[in-house]
Amino acid sequence: MPPIDCEDQELLDGFLAETTELLEKLDDDLITLEKSSDDTELMNRIFRSIHTIKGASSFLGFDLLVKVAHKTEDVLNRLRKGELVVNPEIMDVILEATDLVKLLVSDIKAGDIQERETDGTINKLLPFLLDTATAAKPEAIQPLPAAPTVTTPDTESAPSPLETPSQSADSIPNPVAAPVPVPKPTADVVPKKAPVPPKPVEGKGGDDLSDNSTVRVDVKRLDDLMNQVGELVLERNRMIQINQDLQQNDVNRADFNEEFGKLTKRMSFVTSELQMQVLKMRMIPVEKVFKKFPRIVRSMSRDLGKEVDLQIVGEETELDRSVVDEIGDPLIHLIRNAMDHGLETPDERLAAGKSRNGTLVLAAIHEGNQIIINIKDDGRGIDTERVGRKAIEKGLITEEQFTAMSQREVFDLLFLPGFSTKEKATDLSGRGVGMDVVKTNIKKLNGLIEIKSTKGLGSEFILRLPLTLAIIQSLLVEVMGEIYSIPLSSVLETLRVDQRKFHLIGGQEVLKLRDIVLPLIRLQKVFNVQQRDDADDFCYVVVVGAAEKRMGLVVTRLVGQQEVAIKSLGNYLANIPGIAGSTILGDGRVALIIDPVAMTEVCE
Amino acid sequence: MQNALVAIKTDDNHDELIQLVSFNLDQEEYGVDVLKVREIIRMPIVTRVPNTPDYVEGVINLRGKVVPIICMRKKFGLIEAGNDKQTRIMVMDMGGELMGFIVDAVSEVIRISGSEIQPSPAMVAGGIDQECIAGVINQSERLLVLLNLEKMFSRDEKNLFTGM
Repeated sequence: MPPIDCEDQELLDGFLAETTELLEKLDDDLITLEKSSDDTELMNRIFRSIHTIKGASSFLGFDLLVKVAHKTEDVLNRLRKGELVVNPEIMDVILEATDLVKLLVSDIKAGDIQERETDGTINKLLPFLLDTATAAKPEAIQPLPAAPTVTTPDTESAPSPLETPSQSADSIPNPVAAPVPVPKPTADVVPKKAPVPPKPVEGKGGDDLSDNSTVRVDVKRLDDLMNQVGELVLERNRMIQINQDLQQNDVNRADFNEEFGKLTKRMSFVTSELQMQVLKMRMIPVEKVFKKFPRIVRSMSRDLGKEVDLQIVGEETELDRSVVDEIGDPLIHLIRNAMDHGLETPDERLAAGKSRNGTLVLAAIHEGNQIIINIKDDGRGIDTERVGRKAIEKGLITEEQFTAMSQREVFDLLFLPGFSTKEKATDLSGRGVGMDVVKTNIKKLNGLIEIKSTKGLGSEFILRLPLTLAIIQSLLVEVMGEIYSIPLSSVLETLRVDQRKFHLIGGQEVLKLRDIVLPLIRLQKVFNVQQRDDADDFCYVVVVGAAEKRMGLVVTRLVGQQEVAIKSLGNYLANIPGIAGSTILGDGRVALIIDPVAMTEVCE
Repeated sequence: MQNALVAIKTDDNHDELIQLVSFNLDQEEYGVDVLKVREIIRMPIVTRVPNTPDYVEGVINLRGKVVPIICMRKKFGLIEAGNDKQTRIMVMDMGGELMGFIVDAVSEVIRISGSEIQPSPAMVAGGIDQECIAGVINQSERLLVLLNLEKMFSRDEKNLFTGM
């Protein structure tokens, strides 16, 4: 195969970066195009993208890529000229071709060009290139050169750049037989003749295109950062000066105190500004994840025969790269669930007195130090009765347990691995893996999940995620003299309680908190902290939530709230139950960060 | 840096001069390759880490890095002795990660030639894992046990450590 050992690596890198960017945008644009097919500006942009890809890849000699891109471009060109109208069938094929292009590009990126089956996709494109293909207006087909000569020359001229003449010849028998434009037969026969290859779309090729190893930063942000660094340097000089004065005993104590106090304030100001700036640079809009979804929703709705109106809100909301990387999978699962379980078919919807089109809303919004992502559908809602019966059937709970369960507890059943209300697993869902993935990933991010659902009206999944993972707000607590840090994002409230108010149920200490029964964990016991004598009856309970669970951690004293940088404990101490990492306190000591997620597991 | 550490192998080049840091532990003298030793510090405040084997003393803050600390006496099954003015932590490079080891005292850096290293006798002191003894050096008056600390945590132990 062609030159992967491209002489000019830089050129290749440039090509890959540009193509990847274009392809990312292309998907989005194509979906939009389907909705607003008369947007010429959009049409032209799509055409330019594919044209650029074709040009660049032919320059670098990636033949397969050129072939696919060229055919796609031809079809797009006809759309652009109004010789064809946008319809779902054309879009299906164009999207398939785009996927193939992505796959080929990712091959090139991986440095391993394979001989991929491209003819299948290309042959699907071909019918749209024939003059006989479904046209906007029959009169519009007047590309004169082809019209008079009907037979062989025509077939040769239209698909001339095609490499497999035998196939092209195969696909044109009808125009030969039925001389002039009879649209139907061609459109029908050709797809049948075209070999149906194993869909090249499968496999993750396309997804892996996005590259997270480099960052693009707004120059303005970089300038701001430089300013902050400049100030930091000034403050450092000031500090050196103060230190020198102190060493030489030039200053009296009062002056020193004042100067040093000022310096501390300025330093803390500059540092937090700097921190904000760097944090901002790591932030990317959640759009990066969201933009895959129109495509997914489109193809799913076509597969399922449902009509879905996807609304995306707040895609410009920014969050840390590390978080963005992790939320893709859970969101896909939640959207699949909404499409498959939640939304009804048009007929069912009409029968239920709803509009034909189902609505799926995907929204992101900032709230304090968290980002909230909402997936909401107006489908049939979660049938608690059915969920319960299924769980009893699978032996996960007993009949009595179910009758005693609150709605919320029933919803929690959905997250159990292997749980599914579907009788049979389909391509899309039903294996009971999805929600488990959602739970695991959200837990990993220290996030919370909440489910709201009304039968017949729809369901809503609410994800609460921290903005960043490197520096977190934390609550410092003391357990018999040892200091631990709890991520503030998972702290719901703190209480001062008399230990005599604890109850014991089945060996588990619990606390009645308003209308819920809160299981308690004594950190002193879990962490084997030595008992000190001065224990009194009052202690503090920190109520934490991890994913969908709530519980109370019993500590001796609350120390305060502090912003801490997370430090890893290294490989040797990586997986201590209940400990997520460590941080360094103001006095230089190390404090361990409690992992509320693992705590819930200890609790089980 | 990494390369430099890997380049010198005690087993292969018998005549090459190697440098060892020698330290004391309960009357005995031990040695480790000087290139593996990052620094030697006094005992700082150690933060206990719960639910770890007893020889894991905890973690310390080494100029902004969090480094786990192992108590050599506990690890080798020797009688515990309190910390005194001689007690040191040897911070070592363990396959790219730092780790600290508490020893009774660090004495000196000695040069020996590779040929002086003898294989360890089959039966050595009960508590010490055979695995991590790279050899014995018999120099006139003194007997030095050469340790390879990277082998100190047997595979099982590492798993236990990470999979608890």
